[in-house]
This record gives sequence, C-alpha cells and structure tokens, in this order.
Amino acid sequence: MEQILSAIIFIPFFTALLASLLRLSYSNLRTLSIVSSIIVFGLVLFLAIQYDPHGGMQFIRTVDWIKNYGISYHLGVDTLSLVLLLLVSLLMPLLYLYMWHEHRKGYWYNMLLLQSGITGAVLSLDLILFYLFWEMMLLPIFIMIGRYGNSNRQYNATKLLLMTMLGSMSMLFSILYLGYTHFEISGIWSYSIESLSLVIFSPFIAIWVASGFLLAFIIKIPLVGFHTWMAPAYGSSPTPAVVILSAIMAKLGVYGIWRFGFTFFEETLTRYTPHIITLALIGLIYYAIIAITQSSLRRMFAYASGSHLSLITLGLFFANIYSWGGSLYFIITHALASAGIFLMIGLIYKRAKTINIDSLGGIASQAPLFALFFTFFALSIAGVPGTGGFVAELLIIIGAFKYNILIGIATASTMLLAMLYTFWMLQRTLFGAVGVATQNFTDLSKKEIIMLLPLAILLLVTGIAPSLFIPFIEPWISITLESINQNIGGL
Amino acid sequence: MILLSFIVLIPFFSALLLGIIYLYDPSKPREKLYATIGVTAPAISATIALVIEAKLLVMDSSTVFHYTLFEWIHIGEFQIELAFMADRLTAVMLFFITIIGTLIHLYASGYMKGDSGYGKFFSYFNLFMGSMLLLVLADNPIIMFIGWELVGLSSYLLISFYHQEHANVTAGNKAFILNRIGDFGFIIGLAILFIFLEGHGYTFEAIEANMGLIDPSILPYIAFFLFVGAMGKSAQIPLFVWLPDAMAGPTPVSALIHAATMVTAGVYMVARFSFLYNETPHIGEFIAIIGASTALLGAIIASFQKDIKKILAYSTMSQLGYMFIAVGLGAYSSGIFHVFTHAFFKALLFMGAGAIIIALHHEQNIFKMGGLKEKLKWVYIPMLIATLAISGIPPFAGFFSKDAILITAFSSQQYTIWAMGTLTAFLTAYYMFRLFFVVFCAPSKKKHTLIPLAKSMIVPLIILAIGSATAGLLGIPEAFGGNNIFASFVALPDVPLHIAHSTEYLLSGLNILVALTGIALAYKLFARRVNEPNNSKIWRLVLTHKFYIDELYIFFILKPLLLLSKFLAYFIDGKIIDNSINLIIYIYRKAGIIFATLQNGKVRYYAFYILIGVSFISTSMLIILGDF
Repeated sequence: MEQILSAIIFIPFFTALLASLLRLSYSNLRTLSIVSSIIVFGLVLFLAIQYDPHGGMQFIRTVDWIKNYGISYHLGVDTLSLVLLLLVSLLMPLLYLYMWHEHRKGYWYNMLLLQSGITGAVLSLDLILFYLFWEMMLLPIFIMIGRYGNSNRQYNATKLLLMTMLGSMSMLFSILYLGYTHFEISGIWSYSIESLSLVIFSPFIAIWVASGFLLAFIIKIPLVGFHTWMAPAYGSSPTPAVVILSAIMAKLGVYGIWRFGFTFFEETLTRYTPHIITLALIGLIYYAIIAITQSSLRRMFAYASGSHLSLITLGLFFANIYSWGGSLYFIITHALASAGIFLMIGLIYKRAKTINIDSLGGIASQAPLFALFFTFFALSIAGVPGTGGFVAELLIIIGAFKYNILIGIATASTMLLAMLYTFWMLQRTLFGAVGVATQNFTDLSKKEIIMLLPLAILLLVTGIAPSLFIPFIEPWISITLESINQNIGGL
Repeated sequence: MILLSFIVLIPFFSALLLGIIYLYDPSKPREKLYATIGVTAPAISATIALVIEAKLLVMDSSTVFHYTLFEWIHIGEFQIELAFMADRLTAVMLFFITIIGTLIHLYASGYMKGDSGYGKFFSYFNLFMGSMLLLVLADNPIIMFIGWELVGLSSYLLISFYHQEHANVTAGNKAFILNRIGDFGFIIGLAILFIFLEGHGYTFEAIEANMGLIDPSILPYIAFFLFVGAMGKSAQIPLFVWLPDAMAGPTPVSALIHAATMVTAGVYMVARFSFLYNETPHIGEFIAIIGASTALLGAIIASFQKDIKKILAYSTMSQLGYMFIAVGLGAYSSGIFHVFTHAFFKALLFMGAGAIIIALHHEQNIFKMGGLKEKLKWVYIPMLIATLAISGIPPFAGFFSKDAILITAFSSQQYTIWAMGTLTAFLTAYYMFRLFFVVFCAPSKKKHTLIPLAKSMIVPLIILAIGSATAGLLGIPEAFGGNNIFASFVALPDVPLHIAHSTEYLLSGLNILVALTGIALAYKLFARRVNEPNNSKIWRLVLTHKFYIDELYIFFILKPLLLLSKFLAYFIDGKIIDNSINLIIYIYRKAGIIFATLQNGKVRYYAFYILIGVSFISTSMLIILGDF
C-alpha cells in the first residue's frame, strides 16, 4: 500500500526503460505497454476503492530527497488528483488500442513516458517534484508533434514548446521564491505544499508570485490571448497526442490553479477573479465563434475545447459549490467526450485520408454505427441532456447565476454557441451525399467499438445518473470551499 | 404510483431496443418486428395513462400522484429527483399525447412501408414520445427541461431523417438551433428562479408554495425568460421559422410534432407555471400580443401557400397563437382546451394530407391535385370533418375552444387582440377550405393513378374524425346550456371572466358568421375551377415567401456571424495575436543579428572595444575617486 502511488507513476516509465534496454520488437512493445497500462488502471481503480472521499489528502508518502534544500519526494492523492488519475489511466489502454497497428516504436515510448509525467505531476505534493514532472510531460508531446505530426509540424511543435516553457519558467521562478521566503521566515528550506501554504506575503509581492503560477496554467488551458499555440498544435498532433492534449493536459492547467492557486493565494486570487472571469468569458464566446467556420475537424474541436476549458475556468473562479461541482464534473465528462471525438477524428483520417470538413459528407449513409458514436460524442460536447456534458454545464450555469445574474446570462450562452458549431459540423461531416473521400468508408470494427464503448457508456451514465458520481466529489469540494472561505474571512 | 414511471420509461426502452436491433443489421428487412415493438410501446403507455386518468377523474380535484424513480443530483441545495407527478393538467396532456401518439405510430407503420430506415424511424419516434412524456410528467423544472431538450433533439433526428439531402438536415438544424435559442431563455429563467428559491426545494409544488419569497420585482423577468423557451418550442414570433421547414421529415413526423407533442409543450409550460403568470399580468399581456400576432401572421402566410404540408404548418403556427392568447390572458383552461381539440383535428389533417401525398406519388402541390372526392372517400370524409373543426363551425371541436378564447379576449377588454383573433378566424376558414376545395372538389386537370392506401393508415383517420367531431362537446360553456366539463376538470387557476350571456351569444354568432364568410369566399374562388395562381405580382411574391423573414434572418444574423467568425480567425487570431507573439521573436532575432556583428573576428574592432573599455573604466574610476 505504501508504494502504490509510486508504482502508478513509475510502472510506465520502467516499462519504457526495460523495453528500450531489451530492444523489443514493436509487437512485444505493444503487448508490454498494454499490460502496463492495464496494471496501472487496476491499481488506480483499487486506489479509488480504498479512497475515502471525506478524508482529505491520503496515501501520503514522504521521502527526503535533497535534504539541504528541503526538497522531498512527497506524494499524496485527494479527489481532485484522483479524478485526473482515473481519467488518464482509463484513456491510456484505449489509446494503445487505437495505436494497435502503429509500427513506429517512438509512439509507444513517448506515450509511456507521457503517462508517467502526467501522473507524477498530478500526485506531487512537493513543488520541485511537481515542476520536474510538469516538464517531463511536455517533452513527449513535443516529440510526438515534431516527429510524427503533420503539416508544418516542427514549427508548431516549437511554438508549443516555447510558449509552455515561458509559463514554466515563470512558475519555476515563483516556486523558488516561495521556497526562499519560507527559508527567510522560518530558517528552514521546504517545498512541500503544506508548509508553503503557511507563508504569508505582502499583497504586492503575492500578486507577482501568483502571476508566475497563473501564467503557466493559463497558457496550458489556454485562456484567450495565450492560445496561439493551441490550434496549430492540435492541428499537427498525431491522434494519441491530441487526445492527451485536450482530454488531460489542458485540464492540468485548471488543476494547477485549483491546487496551488487556491492553497497559496486564496486572498490574492480574489483580486485576479474579475479579470480572469472577463478573460474566460471572452474566450468562451470568442473560441466558439471561431470554431463555427474552421475547415479542419481537429482545429474546430481545438477551438471548441478552448471554449469549454474557459467554461471550466469560469466555474473555478465563481467559487461556489455548484460551479466547482460543475467544473470538476466537466473535467471528467469533457475528457471523456473530447477523447472520444478526437479518437474518431483519427479514425476518419485513417479511412478518408482527410479531416477537412468540406471534403467529407455522407458518412451516416455508409457507416451508421460510426455516425451514431460520433454524433453522441459531439452532442455531449454541446451539452445535450442525457450526456454528462449537460449536467456539468447546468451546474456551472447555476453557479454563474449565483455569482452574478448578468454573468450567468453570458455564461449560459455556451449552450447556444456550442450548438452552432456542432450541428453545422455534423451536417457537413456525416450527412449529405457520399463524397469521393468517403465512398469506401467502413463502419466501426470490433476493436474500435471496444475502444469507444467505455467512453460512451460513461458519458451516458454520468448524464443519466449524476447522483452516482456527485457524492464522490462533493465532500472534497465543500471542505475545500469552506477552508478557503475561512482563510479569506480570517485575514 | 410506480405506473407513472412506466408511462415514460416504456417508450425509452423500446427506442433503445429498436435501435439496437436496427444497428445490429441495418439492411435486414424486419418491418413487422419494428412495427410491433414500435406501436406496442406507446399503446402500453396509453393504456396505463388511461388508468391514471380514470383515477384522477373520480378522485378529488386536488389529487396529485407522485412517483420518485431516483435522486438525480444532489449538490449543495441543488437537489433534483427524477420524479414524476400527475395532476389533472398532466392527465389531459397525457390523454391526447398517448392516444393520438399511438394512432400516429399506427399510421406511420403503414406510411413508412418499404423505407430502408424503418427500424431507425420507429426508434426515433419512440424516443420522441418518451421525451414528450418526460416533459409533461416531470415533477420539477429541471427534469422538465431535460424532456424539453430531448424533444428538440428527437425532432432534429426526425426532421433530418432523410439525411442524404442537405436541405433536410438544414431544416433539422434550424429546428434544433431555434429551439435552443428558446432553451437559452428557459434555462436563464430556471436558474434565476432557483437562485431566489435556493434551499426551499425545486419541485413545481415547492415553487408554488414559496412564490412569496421571491422579490416581486424579479418575477416578470423570470416569467419572460421562461416564455422565451415557449417561443422556441411553440413556434411563436420571432422564433417560428423552423416550423414550416420541419415539413422536411416524413409526414407522420409532422403530425406528431404539430399535433400531439412538441409545439404544445410551450402552452403546457405556461399553464404549469400559471401561479407565476397570474402574478405578472404585464408579461401575460405581452404573451397574448405575441400570440395574436403569430396567429394572424400564420394565417396570412397560409392563405398563399401551395404546398399542402406548408399550409398545414402555418395553420399550426396560427392556432398556437390562439393558445397563447388564452394563456396570456389567464384563461389557462381555454388554452389547454384548444391544445386538446387542436391535437385531434391537426393530427387528422396531417395524416389525411400524408395519405393524399402517398396516394399521389409524393405530390405536395395542391394545385396539381383535384377531384379526389370520389377516389379517396375515406380520406375525404375525415378531412371534411377536420376542416370544419379547425374553421370553427359548431358542433365540431374547434368551435368551442376557439370561441372561448375569443370571448376571453373580448371580455378582458383586449379589443385589438380580439379583432386580430377574429380576422384570423376568417382567414382560417378561408385557407382551410381553399385547400379542401382545391384538393377534393375542383375538377382535376390530369388523370391520377392512385396508390392504394394501407388499412393502418385509414383506421386512425376514422378514429380521429370521431374525436374531431366530438371533442369540443367536453367544453360547452354555460351560456349554451353546458357546464364546461373540461374547465372544471383541469381545475387551473383561471382569471375569472365577467361577461353577460347576451354578449356571449352575440360573439359566438359573429364567429360563426365570420367562418361561414371565409368558407363562402373559398368556395367562390376555388370550388369550380383551378388556376394555379401565378406569383408575378410583388405583394404575392412577398407573401408566398413569408415576408422574406428567413432571408432577413440569414442576412442580418447568420451571415454576419459567419463573417465575424472568419474575421476573428484570420484577422484577430491569425494577424494580431499571432503576430504580436511573432514580434517578440523578431525583436529577439534582430537583437541577435546586431550583437553578432560586433563579434566579427577583426582585430581592429577588438582593439577598438578594448579602447572603449579602458577609457570607460578609467573615467568611472576618476569620477569615483574624485568624489572620494
């Protein structure tokens, strides 16, 4: 039990290491990767069963690492990280299923390393450790796009790298400053979250230190103005990378604000709140309007994803129980739905050799099952009832109204805007006459159904019976909210 | 009452079952199986509904049945149960939704014969029924909203059923998007309502009980935003443009959307929130004005259409306008009564039209029909009854319900609305009989070889004809010696009316006269000869193109939105934001080039740097030392 978190983080890493040392053939590498991902998924499930939703941070493990500077190998899991952990470990086996015929070994190695990086970042409770994993997950994505991507891939990969590095550097600066301040005040070095959350700054300094963190996370999400890497990177990524980008990595930006912003800078964040809400509202509408006329499916859903991540961010900053519940719920359902949609875009590319919306059409006549799944995922993204997306959007909208009625009205416009791009896209992609590109379009194979079915079923269940999931996330939300309100009230 | 949940769940399950069977092997013809499952499900719902209605009929008027399936969500004070509720208003809605719905399913089993998407069609059809039943049985606004949206979704699926044609999918998109504009308003209303009632429960009953807690100045906003939802779903100005295009689906779909389900949802919702609308008379007046304008606009446009389904579509829009006049002026039971009678005759009209269309090899232009009286006798008689009913000729169904609405308008001293309603009644009689005479009576120009119609298509027509002839008798007002069984059954909180019986007789007489005039005009113009009107005159062109409203929307809303999208993508995103990032790179690169020229490997330059360095250091030392 003690080592379970470490096992979850490092099994993929050591699988990659082992495979490279043994110089495995691609089919053995595939078997090994799938086995490792399933073991990890099993461990995470076990962890989730053992986890107590009311218990705060659990399975904590602390080992001194660089003692002189108070840096430790410090892990732990709470509801927020468990949700992301479950998502990433569920998606990995499905992605490997997608990559079944992938002969390029680099694909497999990068995906293994990526999983370790993401789970590490999610589980770290030491800021230096977090920073290491944060950077570790960037490199595989960079390589995936730069080496295996398409259309202007190297330029786009570099753009992604530079912009995220800009954020990471500012975050590193803030981390170091936090640690140093702790040393100045108490005479000992520490980078663990608990001890750093006790450090109090003057408001002026706090704004600057907080901005270092925020910049990293806002670029990762990305909020409007910090997003120029987004559409090109999504457009050039190979499918597995784009799934991770949209379903997991973008959410890590939200995770970061939640984990670090609301523990170190509750007070300071209230100063940022109006600005970030404005930025996110603009993003919500701006991205959605751009998505309407995008011609590439990937770029369209990149903007759609940006719009919905702005919505999640909004929910975060409304900071009431409905909006937080909605945001956390949306993290789950948006990950499932966007994973589904990007996987299916990959399948379209495999079959039609294009993802240009105008060249497609008539898929519903050729492949009804494919059309059904595709429509379902798209509807979930648009937030139609019966899918989890609806529940999440509803909660965020209610939270927005609780925050302010006018802002609530602006937030509710997401329902409308998502419709416009989704349905026009569906019409041109699935319906109409069969075109040249789609004339040999085959329906889903058994393997593809197995890959998509878990996502679809989960979305359906999250939509029909949210009461199965809410009790799992609600205690953490109300406890966290309460402690924040106390801190702000107490100051 | 676990039975309540069966009414809703059975159509959903059969939709799922049909979908699975269909997808397992789409090409295999299994029409018998699909039809059996597809028709049985609503029939079971109808039977169960009858049991519940019978119970409500004999029990006290305040009886309400409840059943909670499970807790849907509970977070903070937001606690919503997937629960059903049946009071007398629900019972009326249930009655015609399930019975007429079942008849339409039966009809569709004949109509869709030979269609490759037979199984898919019935799956969607049952989904539609289930959603509508969820909407009317919901015991709280959130579950109602879910049904509300699912109705929109299934209408999208059904309207764009023949998805190989882009026009059909566009029609489906239009329906869903306009509905969602309405839903956008609806959710705003619901959210505000929730925020103000936070912690006091959120079922219809709890809302009614706690209405007093809401700031009275906020009530009109809630009432208005909720009505925006009704505008979308019930095709009122300005969100009505989807309804005529919804004809793109197969005819049974039109019958279901226009008669038994979907469009009636808006009226139902207002009646369900009657306790709220009674508090906000100004919003009620606004609703009545929108209703009257919609009624008149629909009637005017219908008078100039040639496509049989389009005529009926605009007539639906027009009749819905009547219903909103009633509920807007607080005559909820009259409004629901018109919903009720309208369901019979409108379903009948659409199914009759569908039968004609099938018999004539998918011809929809009425001026290419003609002389079908003898050949389609079993369509002719029911259609005559339905046409009389919608025109408001006693004792057929439409007379009593329409009469009640016009009397309400008059006695509430809304004379403009009353005049608009009466004018609409005239136009209704005119355009409906225009359709009737042209299709059945006028001599046909060409010989038709008719396709024989299936029994499953004729039987529902006859049943509905009986309904259309008699349903109105449930609502005979006091002035005519009846005691308005309907109004006393639904027991809605109507605003009381004060009107003398003599005025009532006068108004009713006037209504009959107006209808007869309309019929006479139609007879004179269309019964003997058929000349397809040519549309060369400008005013005719404007009217046949429904005042170019679609074009206006495209030009003023859709086009600018698409342009804005492109502008943001190419200019703001591509040029301004991207280039400002690129500018940093550019500056960095330029700086690199400048500094690189300094380090050029030539000795004399380096000597020069040394010179500068030495003089700089010595100067600064002099300054420092001098100070010292």
